[in-house]
Amino acid sequence: MDRECALLLPGVCAVLSGSGSSLPDDTSLEKLLDWFTGITEAGGSLLEACPCLLKLISTVVHNAASDPGVLSFALRLTGLLAATEESFETIQEHSVLNEVFNLQHWQEAGLWEDPCLRIGWIQGLRSMLQHPKALSFFVQSEFIDPLLQLQTDTSLFIAAAANQMLAHILLFFQPVPPAGCKGVDTKEKDDGMTPSSTDYTAVVKSISGYLKESLVPKESKNVRQSLQTLKLLALLLAQAGPPLRDKLLQTVGDSLEELVTAGSSELTLPLMDVILSACSSGTDERITRLLSSMLNINKPADLIHAAAAFLRRGQHDTVHTARAVRILLLPLDIMTGQTLLGTISTADEHQFSVVEQLKSKSSCISIICVCLSNTPQITLTPPDVLPCLPVSIVTTVLSLLKICSGNSPSSSTGCSEVSRNVIGSGKVQKCALEALTTLTSSPGAKERISEVFTVLIQYLENPDSDPTVLHKSYQALLKWTSVCTDFSFITDQLRHDLVEVVKKRVCDMRWEVKDSTVEFLGHLAGVCDSIKAAAEECDSSEALLGGCSTTPLLREALQDSESYVRASAISALAKTLTHRWQQGATLTEEEPEIVSRLLEILSQDSEGFPRRAVVQYFISWYSSHSPPSSSSSLLMQSVRSVLSQGRADLDWEVKVHTLVLAELLLDEAFSGHPGYKKGSDSHHAPPHAYGVVSEQAYTLHTHTATHTEGAESDLAVVVEQGVVSVLLSGLVDCDRPVALKACRLLITLRETVCPLSLGALDASAAMATVSCELPGCGWGREIIKILKMKKSDQAKEEDIADQRGLNGAEEGADSVCVSVCEALRSLGLDERMEVLTQSSDHIHNSPLSLLQDILTASATHTKPGEEVIVDCY
Amino acid sequence: MKLYCLSGHPTLPCNVLKFKSTTIMLDCGLDTTSVLNFLPLPLVHSPRLSKLPGWVSKDGSANLEKELKECAGRVFVDSQPEFCLPERELLDLSTIDVILISNYHCMMALPYITEHTGFTGTVYATEPTLTIGRLFMEELVNFMERVPKAQSATCWKNKEMQRMLPGPLKDVVDVWAWKRSYSIQEVNSALSKVQLVGYSQKVELFGAVQVSPLSSGYSLGSSNWIIQSHHEKVSYVSGSSLLTTHPQPMDQSSLKNSDVLILTGLTQMPTANPDGMLGEFCSNLAMTIRAGGNVLVPCYSSGVIYDLLECLYQFIDSANLGTTPFYFISPVANSSLEFSQIFAEWLCHNKQSKVYLPEPPFPHAELIQTNKLKHYPSIHGDFSSEFRQPCVVFTGHPSLRFGDVVHFMELWGKSSINTIIFTEPDFSYLDALAPYQPLAMKCVYCPIDTRLNFHQVSKLLKEVQPLHVVCPEQYTQPPLTQSHRSDLMLELQPPPMPYRRCSVLNLPHRRRYERVYILPELANSLVPSEIKPGVSLATVSAVLHSKDNKHTLQSVPKPPPVAPSKKRKRVLEEPPAVLAPKTLLSGAVPLEAFLATLQKHGFTEVKVEETADGHILHLQAEDTLIQLEEDGTHIVCDNNEPLRTTLRDLVLRFLQKL
Repeated sequence: MDRECALLLPGVCAVLSGSGSSLPDDTSLEKLLDWFTGITEAGGSLLEACPCLLKLISTVVHNAASDPGVLSFALRLTGLLAATEESFETIQEHSVLNEVFNLQHWQEAGLWEDPCLRIGWIQGLRSMLQHPKALSFFVQSEFIDPLLQLQTDTSLFIAAAANQMLAHILLFFQPVPPAGCKGVDTKEKDDGMTPSSTDYTAVVKSISGYLKESLVPKESKNVRQSLQTLKLLALLLAQAGPPLRDKLLQTVGDSLEELVTAGSSELTLPLMDVILSACSSGTDERITRLLSSMLNINKPADLIHAAAAFLRRGQHDTVHTARAVRILLLPLDIMTGQTLLGTISTADEHQFSVVEQLKSKSSCISIICVCLSNTPQITLTPPDVLPCLPVSIVTTVLSLLKICSGNSPSSSTGCSEVSRNVIGSGKVQKCALEALTTLTSSPGAKERISEVFTVLIQYLENPDSDPTVLHKSYQALLKWTSVCTDFSFITDQLRHDLVEVVKKRVCDMRWEVKDSTVEFLGHLAGVCDSIKAAAEECDSSEALLGGCSTTPLLREALQDSESYVRASAISALAKTLTHRWQQGATLTEEEPEIVSRLLEILSQDSEGFPRRAVVQYFISWYSSHSPPSSSSSLLMQSVRSVLSQGRADLDWEVKVHTLVLAELLLDEAFSGHPGYKKGSDSHHAPPHAYGVVSEQAYTLHTHTATHTEGAESDLAVVVEQGVVSVLLSGLVDCDRPVALKACRLLITLRETVCPLSLGALDASAAMATVSCELPGCGWGREIIKILKMKKSDQAKEEDIADQRGLNGAEEGADSVCVSVCEALRSLGLDERMEVLTQSSDHIHNSPLSLLQDILTASATHTKPGEEVIVDCY
Repeated sequence: MKLYCLSGHPTLPCNVLKFKSTTIMLDCGLDTTSVLNFLPLPLVHSPRLSKLPGWVSKDGSANLEKELKECAGRVFVDSQPEFCLPERELLDLSTIDVILISNYHCMMALPYITEHTGFTGTVYATEPTLTIGRLFMEELVNFMERVPKAQSATCWKNKEMQRMLPGPLKDVVDVWAWKRSYSIQEVNSALSKVQLVGYSQKVELFGAVQVSPLSSGYSLGSSNWIIQSHHEKVSYVSGSSLLTTHPQPMDQSSLKNSDVLILTGLTQMPTANPDGMLGEFCSNLAMTIRAGGNVLVPCYSSGVIYDLLECLYQFIDSANLGTTPFYFISPVANSSLEFSQIFAEWLCHNKQSKVYLPEPPFPHAELIQTNKLKHYPSIHGDFSSEFRQPCVVFTGHPSLRFGDVVHFMELWGKSSINTIIFTEPDFSYLDALAPYQPLAMKCVYCPIDTRLNFHQVSKLLKEVQPLHVVCPEQYTQPPLTQSHRSDLMLELQPPPMPYRRCSVLNLPHRRRYERVYILPELANSLVPSEIKPGVSLATVSAVLHSKDNKHTLQSVPKPPPVAPSKKRKRVLEEPPAVLAPKTLLSGAVPLEAFLATLQKHGFTEVKVEETADGHILHLQAEDTLIQLEEDGTHIVCDNNEPLRTTLRDLVLRFLQKL
């Protein structure tokens, strides 16, 4: 804790000891606690640093008029303070603990009704219970019963917190097995006779007793208690070591059996959770039996959910896996008439009840969706567990898709009363398409690729498919294309159908559909490229679209009225042309037209997305082109326009993209230069544009290598290309991500052409001659201002002529020329960098500011009339 | 109550309902699918059609070269197209009192019914139905008369001859009943019998029933009908739609509590969702235009075309079709576009409110103003000078057998860059295209049928809960081509009564009550007595007077005064004799209790005999019989008045007096 904060804290404590109602906003207390927690976690002792806190606690607790929020804060703070044995003892000495957590006191004061206080109580105890002494205190104070009561509190948050707390006590203090990995110091556990051991036994006894009691609902209204108890049990069993686990199972075994037999739908999933948690932590005959019973309950919907839960856990119990697989395949078998399960003999009665369930539309859809979403996992189970070949599951999903679209030729094999429920159901269609997409990885799936394509093309063709369904169909098509190594199965008819449907869909009425289609074309080009790279088979890209060029379709989409579609068309075009660029293919006739349309979009489009896409188009072109090609001059010419337009754009993302393009040019210009560190910026890119950038401080390259000849000509080239202008204008941009990126690039440039370490005079004279022009207004003026300020700060030996020139710039609106090196050195880039890397709210987020806020607010509160506007970041 | 079914076409119905003393025809749709068996009527001489070979049977025994032509493996009649009329032999059409029309598609057979059959009744229809129906008829007549064909082929209809013909000509039935189009005079005469009605307007028919049209939401002025008497209600549901298109929304609630609901005019395309089809239409249109091709849309001159134009109005800008010309060619194009704008009160709420802005309800006005949509009466004249390609042409007739569409088929059919998009669901597109084969043009089938689908109709029926439903037999089983789709049929409890052409159904509803009016003075004379709380009875003696299906109870005319005399005053003083009601008895005589009472009064020897209607008590000592029956009690004793009186009083003890 820094000194300033330490000085302010007593004042804040005084404020809080008062009524507490004058807090600047309701998050202040949370922020204070967060800060304290941070200090504790870092190993600091709060009690030593701020003795006033203890006083604060006891004042607040004794003040009958304390705000419940502040009381809750005091409770949690106490717990935090008492988290180590040492401070626990200190607090005990002040006999604060008994007062703070005295339940009776709160109940009598009528404050217990306030959920705020109850949660404070739980969380305070939770923070404190990190050592055996705390446990002893907990047990001696007989807190276990009230805590158990809170488990079914009316407030969900409190109930959940109580559950977590109960689990924490049992798990945290459980005796560590010899090879133990967690828990309390072993020295305390060694003899097994430490006070905590008896305390722990007591706690285990009462909690497990409670579990046994409350597991089976006595009346229907007690279901919530059972639910909570099951959740707690699942938490415990998942992490409990063998002694605790065995003890728990021994206690609740009968109740669990009773619950399984009762078969309440509401409890199926939590119950399954408990059983699976128990299974995962060890084997036990009884638990295995329970699991078997769960997979044999006679309510089809519950059974399917139970089976799905079992499969999701990914357990490798062959018998039960086989059972779960059969359960999940049965509805699909019934619906499609595909014999997935062979001849069904014993389960006839069960099948009958499933059929009955499937006849109701809503439960049919939900059951089928659960089954579908588990099919990919089913195909990956060992073959001896599967009742059929994995490939038949692919066939089943396909025939389900056909039924859904009403295209099934005849469902003479399936049950028509059931299948009518899914006809036209978008939900089932989406689920089935998702399953189909994932099924690419199942063994033998590739055999069905031709059927898959047929069905997917039918879906794309279907006028009633909704946009999401179409989107998922495209995704499935791409996924299947990407795993396909042999396109010979694609008949001319399929190819023709696909081309026709894509042509139709790019003209769709709904922009979402146009967008998905255009995106699909782009991704397809990407997929085809990767296949090509793998198979080195040049004509495979045409295999799918039958040699049909998609460029005209995409060019048409550039004119679309919807900005998303224009943006997608631009990126799709980039993906489509990447391969040509990489090969250095000659410029086609349409490329110049595309480029001019793109530049038009960049300069005129009113929406940001297409403009961003345009800059990215040029980024990918620039990064994939091979220099000696016929397209180079067109590229370089357009890049120049992109830089100058992108720089002036209103959208900050366009500007950042423009800077990326500028970076590529820098990379190219200086890649041969020993001082240049290529891609120095890309690793630092913040994950989110607005995120705090603090991962790595920017390191300066302190190399002293002499400059190679030609660096100045390279510099002259980038100046001429407009790169330097982009960087400088970016530097003074009001959007932080833009300024940050520009600043980094400028520093890189500076370190390459005129590092500070060399000293101003060492810079080669030739380099100093390279200058760039700054416009007399806008960003140019901003740069000039900075330069001028720096100059006046610096020694007077500065060139007077320059000074004059800068003065002149301020008077008129004429542009001025400045030496690039000069500018790079005098812009104060490093200080700027430091400021820019801090997030924009770093000042308002500091503990100091928080303390000040609290104090100011209370001052205003006592002097009404003045209003403080709190920063609401 | 009887229903005579004169048409087997589920969406072009013609039924006759006999209800109380009225005979009501419900719609008179004209089945035009018969024209598909005929060769197209080209507007301009078509060398291709004129060179088609005549048909001769393989063994040469049948030679109909003049009448039948062969094209792409099918045989067509080379004559003016003929239509399949509603059945005219099932009942005497002159007995029909009224014809109720539900929409302009369902009145095309009107001239065949009202003219030359002795029909003397009235036709009821809404104003837009009449106006647009007239346009349709005029267009049809125009299409036919503008390409006159002297020849009328009849030899092929010969039974012996027809048997030898290849399908589908071989299988068509009732060919002798097929008729050529009517004349404009017949149209005018038929339509002069129409009387206009507004939604919910009640029309009395002979005092027996009341009919009233309800909005059905399908087309401008389209209606369902309620036919009701005081105690019975029959609903007639014809083409109806729940989609939000241009017409006023469907009135569903008035259909509630029907005894019988006659359900016709469901969608012909249960699997084609209109929204999806509209999207399909637009994307195929844009795709063709972008590729430099022309789009031909065979359509009727009113109805879905308004929605198509509205949809295109929004679509053309987003699809960059702003410069593509749209042509609407029909003899009645202008009237159709203009009439649609003036029927504000028949439009959906959204469009109605535009009238007050003021703005034309339909955006096609703007398309016309900006020259994006141009309309012409025919391909001759102005059109030929304005015609620019690539373009989109909307024109009739959807059967492709007559009208300007024939010309465009000949013009564009050979090029694969052109597309024909079918939007009308009335004709199978493959059959429509048959005489144009081989065809290079791309064909797209997007039938847009906004009428109720099975899902909507079962929901509707659940809501309005009719006691009985009558419908075409086609609705009671899944479509032939999709026999597994059990969701594409009506499933009701009790099952609907199916009908087919020429069916005569005895509707299951029995009339049980009739309303009778009572004149005030007669009512005034009644003296009701309460037999239980809320229920009073009174006896009435009156004369029942029936006229125009109205029944009235009038006072019994008093016997004419004997003679004006001095006694008159006395007569007038005797009214109590009339007013005092005779006591009426009610109740039953319980046997056991009665026997006990008899015993108490000394009748000890009683022999009880059970009969079909009750019991006979034989008082042996007195030799007297008492017959206790459900509706009467008789005491038979000879000349023993005191005994009779005693016994009578004993019986009366058990009965209640009014």
